[in-house]
Amino acid sequence: MNSITGITGSIARVHLGAGTAGSEPLPLDRLGTFIGGRGLGAQYLFNEVGADTDPLSAGNKLVFMNGPLGGTLVTGSNKINLAFKSPLTGTYSYSLCGGHWGPELKFAGFDGLIVEGAAPAPVYLWINDGRMELRPAANLWGKTIPETEKALRAELGGDERIQIACIGPAGEMLNRYACITAGWYREFGRGGCGAVMGAKKLKAIAVRGTGDIRVHDPKGMMEFAETLYRDLKAHPKAKERRTYGTNEMLRTVNDLGYLCTRNFTEGYFPEGTRIDGPRMREDIVVGDASCYACPVACGKRSRAGGAFGSVLLEGPEFETIGLVGANCGVSDWDAIVKATQICDEYGFDTMNAGGAVALAMECFGKGIITAKDTGGLELRFGSGPALVEALRMIAGRRGIGDILAEGIKAAAERFGAPELGMHSKGQGFGVYDPRGCKGMALTYALSPKGAHHMYATTMGPEMAAKSTLSIEGKGKLQRDQQFSMCIADSIGVCSTLRVVLSVKALAGAFTMATGRPMDEQGLLTAAERIINLERLYNIRLGLSRKDDTLPERFLREPLPDGHAKGSTVDLESMLDDYYALMGWDLDGIPTREKLLELGL
Amino acid sequence: MDSQESSLTMIRRSTLRFDENRCVGCRICEQWCAMSHFGVINSARACIAILRNHESQKDRAVYCRQCADTPCIPACKKYGALSRDETTGAIIVDPDACVGCRACIKACPHGAPRVLPGEKKVIICDLCGGEPSCVAHCPEQAVLFRGEGAHE
Repeated sequence: MNSITGITGSIARVHLGAGTAGSEPLPLDRLGTFIGGRGLGAQYLFNEVGADTDPLSAGNKLVFMNGPLGGTLVTGSNKINLAFKSPLTGTYSYSLCGGHWGPELKFAGFDGLIVEGAAPAPVYLWINDGRMELRPAANLWGKTIPETEKALRAELGGDERIQIACIGPAGEMLNRYACITAGWYREFGRGGCGAVMGAKKLKAIAVRGTGDIRVHDPKGMMEFAETLYRDLKAHPKAKERRTYGTNEMLRTVNDLGYLCTRNFTEGYFPEGTRIDGPRMREDIVVGDASCYACPVACGKRSRAGGAFGSVLLEGPEFETIGLVGANCGVSDWDAIVKATQICDEYGFDTMNAGGAVALAMECFGKGIITAKDTGGLELRFGSGPALVEALRMIAGRRGIGDILAEGIKAAAERFGAPELGMHSKGQGFGVYDPRGCKGMALTYALSPKGAHHMYATTMGPEMAAKSTLSIEGKGKLQRDQQFSMCIADSIGVCSTLRVVLSVKALAGAFTMATGRPMDEQGLLTAAERIINLERLYNIRLGLSRKDDTLPERFLREPLPDGHAKGSTVDLESMLDDYYALMGWDLDGIPTREKLLELGL
Repeated sequence: MDSQESSLTMIRRSTLRFDENRCVGCRICEQWCAMSHFGVINSARACIAILRNHESQKDRAVYCRQCADTPCIPACKKYGALSRDETTGAIIVDPDACVGCRACIKACPHGAPRVLPGEKKVIICDLCGGEPSCVAHCPEQAVLFRGEGAHE
């Protein structure tokens, strides 16, 4: 019997090379110091995957880790973290997946799963209540995400309660931004973990569990959950998310002039009114879909397709609409939904895909690449059919798609226009043009997985304070948001639920679940420890301030139009501000004193 | 009780209902069912299950509907483990008599009874004694407890 509740206390470890699987205890002393999820994942990766490991080699590992609140009554307790070395950025990376797969792994008896080595031939992993088995997957190899789910479920007897995470052809073909997809529409989306899984010849991980998740204080947790349901019902942000999904943000971001438009040449998309939240609800949404234990249900079920054929799917969400839509100059739902479907079925990140196509469109418009390079495709901003065809080429690595599947950075270099590749550390940007939302400049530059928007979601507080264009106090805001996100990612709840889950409330929930003492300061210190450890991982690779960068476009080219017209980013002064607050030196290296203070 | 009285009782008596068009698939109902009965979170210990169909983009529920003709009860003739609670209409499982033979599961047109993990016993919705926890906590009012002919 466990001496601790909330967690299962057990981590599965699978060696694909040897074809063996076993389990080991979760080190309980690290629960207080690294919380779980992203924190514990970073710790394992730091200890087990070294600086000289090629991300696509057998030496890389996939460290899936639930948090202590995962699967519990706490709203949005569905996020599981994956730590891995990224084939897109070459750095430390993590990715979080919602849906129902993470909680199922916990029901199956495991807080986490570590996959190491590489299989000689395609396999899938079947985890059934603590029992693990590697089985041949030759018949699944080559199948899309939906095909894989259907075929694998049938092979396992058809049980609809089985949760499946798998890769599509993109992962198999080592697309550098391939996803791992769980439940058709929920992804470990960014950083190319799907390619890591593909390189390991692991097609899928099917999970079924019937075990208990016990909590220390069931009565307290029930009361807490009821409070959360009430608070969410009344919360304006939660209501907006429910009605319009994450795309509720598009209108405001566009109005404030920082919506990625035509490969970030502009920050205002005049046709944005055609693809904003209300238009989406009216034009294409047919229903709402929730992840496990979440009453918000920000997932939207949409039907569109038109000339491309009718499509019904869960999505698209805001980042997809921004990057395959506005960033490619496309405002046509049929094209955007079809584009989403291609990425989802073949299993690659819509965001980096949109960024890569936008890069090619700008290069095509400027004559840097021609119809000879595109196989005759008129790759122009605003063309929905061109967008869809380019994504099909990426999905199959055909023609120019083969280059674009290598990522924005590699493709821009190959085209001889590295300055047009909108990425940091090789990772494509989120929707938010940092010239029009200064805090996000720091997020993109500092994120250890490259330009990732969810590392610190400063845009919310910046919009609330009407300070999107100011650099004042952005170092502190960055630090606070990094901590807040890191706590959510590590404890196992979706960051959207932060609207009702303060750090203090999460500390209380940690104790209700585990029975271990925790307070606000304890979580904040753990977050600081995790962020420093993630930083150290990349420093070990030789990264420093020189890599905390943004493309020249953001630093030198003023935004031509919109609310943020004339704006550029003064990154260096904001970095100074942030490093000082973190106790890092001017080169962005944590000081010895800071590391000792954090026990690292 | 004559047949007219009996049908009146049926009309008045509430049963568990599910509105597919309202469900978003959060599975909070499963959580509260297991929590209320067993004090743990475990979908396999819940008498209601929500299953998602990604193709149709619908979530459906597997649950006991307190059928008027209760085919599960005669199916358990051999062990006599099932009876109807005459107040609530719920099917009550006698845990001492049940051996987990699955005859009730086969007889149920909805596949609602479930064998408890690791045990040779089934669970069937007991309507929480008349105030179903799943209904009370469904944020969408997709799980309902209503009488025949009742309007929303």
